[in-house]
Amino acid sequence: MAWLTKNSGTAKIARRDEPYVTAAIKDHITRTYLPRYETKQGALLPTLHAVQEEWGWLPHQALIEVAEFLGLKPADVIDCASFYEEYWLRPKGEHIIWVCRSIACEVCDHKSILDACQAKLGIEPGETTDDGKFTLMEVECLGSCGTAPVALVDHTLHENLTAEKMIKAIDDAGRHGH
Amino acid sequence: MPWTPKTTTPVLTKRIPCAPHGDPKNRHIVRYDEYVRTGGYEGLRKALTMAPDAVVAEVKDCGLRGRGGAGFPTGLKWTFLPKHDPANPQPRYLAINADESEPGTFKDRLLLDFDPHLLLEGIAIACYACRLTKAYIYIRGEYHHQAMVLEEAIKEAYAHGVFGPQGLLSGASNAGGEKWSVECHVHRGAGAYICGEETALLESLEGKRGWPRIKPPFPAVKGLFGRPTIINNVETLAHLPSIIENGKQWFLNQGVQGSAGTKLFGVSGHVNKPGLFEFDLGIPLSTLVNQYCGGMRHGKKFKGAIAGGISTGILGPDQFDAEMDFGIGPKYNVLGLGTACPTIFDEDTDMVVVARNLARFFKHESCGQCTPCREGSGWLYQLMTRIERGEGRTKDLDLALEISTSMGAMPGTTICGLADGNNWAVRTIINKYRDEFESRVRPTFVAVTVGAG
Repeated sequence: MAWLTKNSGTAKIARRDEPYVTAAIKDHITRTYLPRYETKQGALLPTLHAVQEEWGWLPHQALIEVAEFLGLKPADVIDCASFYEEYWLRPKGEHIIWVCRSIACEVCDHKSILDACQAKLGIEPGETTDDGKFTLMEVECLGSCGTAPVALVDHTLHENLTAEKMIKAIDDAGRHGH
Repeated sequence: MPWTPKTTTPVLTKRIPCAPHGDPKNRHIVRYDEYVRTGGYEGLRKALTMAPDAVVAEVKDCGLRGRGGAGFPTGLKWTFLPKHDPANPQPRYLAINADESEPGTFKDRLLLDFDPHLLLEGIAIACYACRLTKAYIYIRGEYHHQAMVLEEAIKEAYAHGVFGPQGLLSGASNAGGEKWSVECHVHRGAGAYICGEETALLESLEGKRGWPRIKPPFPAVKGLFGRPTIINNVETLAHLPSIIENGKQWFLNQGVQGSAGTKLFGVSGHVNKPGLFEFDLGIPLSTLVNQYCGGMRHGKKFKGAIAGGISTGILGPDQFDAEMDFGIGPKYNVLGLGTACPTIFDEDTDMVVVARNLARFFKHESCGQCTPCREGSGWLYQLMTRIERGEGRTKDLDLALEISTSMGAMPGTTICGLADGNNWAVRTIINKYRDEFESRVRPTFVAVTVGAG
């Protein structure tokens, strides 16, 4: 649920010297995105996307650095980042498998797809494999109901899935990965 | 009388092969050169020879209604904008809603995937007509590929004088009386259904959490960054080039009274050939399924269908012949046409499972701003889960109906329409398949022997 927040008032946040918002990211955002919006906050979503693209997730320190970079309060950034499902405030696997569970996929047997993923990876939805390679997620409608059941593996949509096709997609992602 | 199409050549899918006019296998991304070769940007060129107000009037008179779900007349929406003052130019925005996340809906994806310039031409026409300076295409985060296709198409459009300071087909004299230029950008969302609600979309564009705003003020007066803003759906804008090119009468001749034009229909679920089709509004659902989708899968019987995105509610077993136009709502007891992307269920479908699935969706996507929706959607999901497991009581059914007739239905109890979509989805399923639910719940009152005292 996007609206649940964690009480982090007393949490100790580890800081490291190497910045998460690198000079390259700052440069890219300053050139491409800041001129597009009337306020600096407008560039917040693109900035978070860029930082997550670089590090795979959004550590606490990164959110604070984003706030400093855009001249916002850390609370503004955390408020925004914690709302959206695609921003990862905890580490995730190298590859994410999003299995669609909305109505068209559910009535077209999304369960066999999810079961295949769970059996293959040995994890439940929301978990990451021990080697940190895969995170399995259930997701609401991926917008391809005509080819149900579907799943998104990283940035690639796989359509008209069967259990075999799903396993092959996972294997391929694992091979072409880092 | 069997239904016959009025429009025999596709309009929106002119360059995207769709059955029955073409083979979906032949789809490919239409780049700028091919787009222009096949008559692209002619609508924009014609619009530039018309006064901006004349373009607005044309769109208003053609009866184009928004294709995003609510069906609000597009031209009327445009007229809510304050008048542009050339002496004191202010930024004015167009936000394009490409946050297609309604379960069952996959129509905008097709346009973004294969014919991005059609959308860009529509954007250019809308910005010229309404005197808007900047357009943001708000695309959902999961559409990685589509965002890339769009970015490339926008680059081409900038290079060929559609957008940018040298834009709106540079050099061409326009009838607007002043040089006009439009910026166009892609803004990627990050996975939140609620950002398809127009004011939540604006919040998200401003870099905030997607919480809908209280209206008024309406976005046309005070929208993105406090400026006048128009929000239109992808498909709505994709209609503009052909309307301007062919005139309002041409558009009015398509479809049916009150629902002019063609529409993309995305059929999913238990049919033999699910997919995307373009037909005149008013096509009966049974014709769509039997004639164009190869009939029900495995020859099973029709049991029901989500009318057009789950917020609209469900069409019952006796409503297979429902005409898919904007009049569908009051006629068949659903919320409305929605996105016109029906999901079909066959006789083996467990409607309690369907209700649970829909309830889970709304619970998951409720933004949490208004209590009736945040709590009510959770309650509904719990009740549906309990009934599905066979642990429900009769009073659970009554409670579910009570929640789904009150939560957000009373004006002013929630800010946006999400709770109402939840209501319609759950209420229409329970009402139209009441016996299925009743057979799954245990009676609340158990007969007991009363000992005489």
